[in-house]
Amino acid sequence: MLELRDLVSGYGKAMVVKGLSIDVGRGQLVSLIGANGAGKTTTLKAISGLIPIKSGKVIFDGQDITNASARKILSLGVAHCPEGRHVFPYMTVTENLEMGCYLRNDRKAIADDMSRIFEQFPRLAERRQQVAGTLSGGEQQMLAIGRALMSRPKLIMFDEPSLGLAPNIVEHTFDIISNIRDQGTTVLMVEQNALAALEMCDHAYLIESGALTLAGSGRELVDNPHVRAAYLAD
Amino acid sequence: MQELLQHLANALLLGSTYALLGIGLTLIFGIMRVVNFTHGELYSFGAYAVFFLEAALGVNFFVAIVVAVIAGCLLGALIEFALLRPIQGADIDTTMLVMIGAWIFMQNSELLYWGGVAKSIKTPFPEAPLQLGLISVSWLRIFVLVVGSVLIVATYFFIDHTKLGKAIRATFQDHDTAALMGINIKGIYTATFALGSGLAAAAGALLGPVFLVTPTMGDIASLKAFAIVILGGLGNITGATIGGFILAFVEELGAGYVSSGYRDAMGFVIIIVILLFKPTGLFTRADRIG
Repeated sequence: MLELRDLVSGYGKAMVVKGLSIDVGRGQLVSLIGANGAGKTTTLKAISGLIPIKSGKVIFDGQDITNASARKILSLGVAHCPEGRHVFPYMTVTENLEMGCYLRNDRKAIADDMSRIFEQFPRLAERRQQVAGTLSGGEQQMLAIGRALMSRPKLIMFDEPSLGLAPNIVEHTFDIISNIRDQGTTVLMVEQNALAALEMCDHAYLIESGALTLAGSGRELVDNPHVRAAYLAD
Repeated sequence: MQELLQHLANALLLGSTYALLGIGLTLIFGIMRVVNFTHGELYSFGAYAVFFLEAALGVNFFVAIVVAVIAGCLLGALIEFALLRPIQGADIDTTMLVMIGAWIFMQNSELLYWGGVAKSIKTPFPEAPLQLGLISVSWLRIFVLVVGSVLIVATYFFIDHTKLGKAIRATFQDHDTAALMGINIKGIYTATFALGSGLAAAAGALLGPVFLVTPTMGDIASLKAFAIVILGGLGNITGATIGGFILAFVEELGAGYVSSGYRDAMGFVIIIVILLFKPTGLFTRADRIG
């Protein structure tokens, strides 16, 4: 569904991702693991059109989306749930969800989707008129996920969904992400919590210094001595 | 007592247009981080547009005001598209120089076309003021207050409740995430600049008939707009609204009780005092549009 071919991208003259090729199959949950600064977030930003791609290609659903606008990429079905949640702090929960479906005009279906999200996240329903900046970290994460779902994506990318959340919330967040995959949406997840990311995924990639060093099933990576030593701390 | 009431009434009538000026400038700064030196020129453009439409083309006064505001929006969109979009991402010095250049160009174009002699705009309102108990106010000024207030409320409604207004707020709050929502950021910039410019043109179109229209009228308007925005906190619409009324009250009372020659100086006295004691502005509720 999503293919990266020799992707090179970064900020200004500094290239952070240096020739990355990965595949995300339809309906899969794919984890991208690696250390801080390895280029995981940069990869997601390059896919979703936030930063320019210097060379290489991004193919989504057979279509070349290299350096397309963020708007175009979203409209093709790629949603990006950014690192640190990034809810709109002075907008209400409802307004945040409305922003998620900014490109849609099907009022009826939007209302249905919104009530489904409120059903799934009752905490958000209770706080629908509250501004998002006053929510707890976990609630903000639910809102960020709900907002990404509001675009009805075919592929949803999560960047560090567990970052800065309490342990019980982390578990809940991963359950939600697995659920999203189970309901047929393809997921590409970047995660520092390597063990959890590897256990829940269908396929995983390890990137180091902007390049691919290992690929395989989650199990294979968990059993790999290098991964164990460097990322699973045992 | 009667004198005080009269000053307060005058200030109230003036305050609505000052608020429009301030809201326009604070929106543009808040969203785009552009210090808009052309703001005052949009103000004088609004006044000249009404003068031109009425005196040269014989357009009805009220229609002329509406057309002037729309033309102000279009001129703002043009400035954004032609001057700011090509230098997006450039450092603040470059942007400032470009805007200062545009300001000088616009002002001198007015001077070239209309000359330096002040113009006055004819209005359909009766000369005799309306007597309300102890105070008297001109019909024109009441009209200015009503239209100014309606525009303030309309701007609030637009920002709070329309899809474009929400997209403007989202862009202000988180630029990259707004792009991820599919919001066309460049389009938001153009729309914001057009809206801010339209509000400045509206203030000019409303105050032009109250005072005289001259090519340099925009300079003092620009300075006042900056005073209002600093007073209310940058990017704060409510702050700009209240700031506009505060400036009007201070000016009016200063002119009445200190010296009318110091009227325009009052705004700067306020800026200095605010910057000394509360440099983030009076109404800073963090950094927000809304």
